[in-house]
Amino acid sequence: MTAITVQNLSKTFVRGFLRRRTVALRGIDFAVEEGEVFGFLGPNGAGKTTTIKILMGLLFPNGGTARIFGRPVGSRCAKAKVGYLPERPYFYEYLTARELLDLVGRLYGIEAGERRRRIDAMIERVGLSHAADRALRGYSKGMLQRVGLAQALLPDTPLVVLDEPASGLDPIGRKDVRDLILAEKARGKTIFFSTHILADATTLCDRVAILAGGRIRGIGALDELLSAKIDRVDVVFRAPEPAIEALRDAAGGAVRTTAEGSVASFDDEAQAASFLRAVLDAGGTVREVVPHRRTLEEIFVEKAAAGREASSS
Amino acid sequence: MMPVLRRVLAVAATTFREAIRNRVLYVLVAFALALMAFSWVLGELSLHEEVRVITDLGLAGISLFGVVIALFLGVNLLRKELDEKTVYFLVPKPLERWEFIVGKYLGLVATLTVLVVAMSAILEALILARGGMFTWVLIRAEVLVLLELVTLTAVSLFFSGFSSPYLSAMFAGGLWVAGRSVPELEALAAGKLAGTPAGHLVEAVVAVLPDFHLFYISGANLGGGVVTVHEAFVSWGYVAETAVYGLSYAAVAVALAAALFSRRDLT
Repeated sequence: MTAITVQNLSKTFVRGFLRRRTVALRGIDFAVEEGEVFGFLGPNGAGKTTTIKILMGLLFPNGGTARIFGRPVGSRCAKAKVGYLPERPYFYEYLTARELLDLVGRLYGIEAGERRRRIDAMIERVGLSHAADRALRGYSKGMLQRVGLAQALLPDTPLVVLDEPASGLDPIGRKDVRDLILAEKARGKTIFFSTHILADATTLCDRVAILAGGRIRGIGALDELLSAKIDRVDVVFRAPEPAIEALRDAAGGAVRTTAEGSVASFDDEAQAASFLRAVLDAGGTVREVVPHRRTLEEIFVEKAAAGREASSS
Repeated sequence: MMPVLRRVLAVAATTFREAIRNRVLYVLVAFALALMAFSWVLGELSLHEEVRVITDLGLAGISLFGVVIALFLGVNLLRKELDEKTVYFLVPKPLERWEFIVGKYLGLVATLTVLVVAMSAILEALILARGGMFTWVLIRAEVLVLLELVTLTAVSLFFSGFSSPYLSAMFAGGLWVAGRSVPELEALAAGKLAGTPAGHLVEAVVAVLPDFHLFYISGANLGGGVVTVHEAFVSWGYVAETAVYGLSYAAVAVALAAALFSRRDLT
């Protein structure tokens, strides 16, 4: 079953006395299948949080539809299927972590005994046993993020939506978040999360969507996006001095000298293969062959730039 | 328990817990207690009217500081949720937006009830210590004060749905003053302004104003007789009628607040 279906979703904010309009989403479409980890990527202001707030029933779209497990977003039935971590979570600071989780358990209709058992287990799981009965106003940013994760995972919903889950965490905290996400995926949960930490997306996601300027600029499985094309192949070689000129000609003149040896660059693998034969025929040796693929970061920067151009035009 | 009730009560319990841990509340209660203590001193200065002075000033203290507390809690209820962004945590949970508003309101009602009961117990102790007697009339007066606060909180909550806390406090406070002056406004419309457009306007305004004067019984003119809390004119029947009026008005105000909130973008 499809966990999230978004069709032609648009949102415009009207602000201030002069009714100035800001277009946040310009008709986006995507679907998240059950059981996958889906990364929602994009630069600041791309529309990621606006989309998530619509999915969570905090904002109303101006056009299009969004459904969670077939139910319209904002309905109680749809919300009962989702555990949600807001960006920079804010909680009732007078409550303790245990009281906050108890409130969440009650709202999801978890019975008292089961609620207590799950709260104890979740507090242990996010590493807050030492502070569970302390008011949240005394918590650090990292501890609040852990409480946020605990309240998102406590109801054991089939879909978990995380808005920038690693935001403000130190490297250990980020690793813990990654481990939690992978553990939930192993349990068959669907995870939808927004991030601009591309290393997390590369490590965790089955598929990603790249959002920029309120439009989806790219969507697909991560390996499809990353290995669609090899951009360049570098061949590092050494050859006798008299053969270098001929090899330079064979490489179309693009040979540079480094400490490792001479480096020739080619646009495709076939050119590189014929050059390798030429090096060996000339009595040279091949030290290294390095194919260069586009990184997620390069794709991201390219799509973000396209988004900026589209927004300004 | 019905799932709807369970969710509403969960929100109410959290609101109560948060309100009761707010230090500002204790400062306001301390002022009310200081006024009661002052009534003890004034009682000393009066001639054999100690109990009456303590009762009058004590009730006035509960009422006055209760109004300030009701305004403070009511106008901040939604604004605080929006400013501190806690609304992003609660609204995405599986509850309807109206359940959220009703739960928050009931949490404040519980808070006010505890405060009024606590202040009333202290007042009763002062009266007994001064040699006064326990009377149900005083309890009825205190129930009326609580009903007034419950109604005022609902009105404040309604205003806080679309204006800042300062403006909401001004609107709700203004309505409270006007509501306490309903008999004077009615007299004005039926007297000097009778038959004039201004008179009709005042009549129309009085028709929709919350009649807070109903809850203010000391020295009130009810049914042709002057009623005071020191006499038994205020029956349980009157309290029940006033409760129906106050709770109905509060229900309409909360329903309007919920309707406004249900289509609001939480940016």
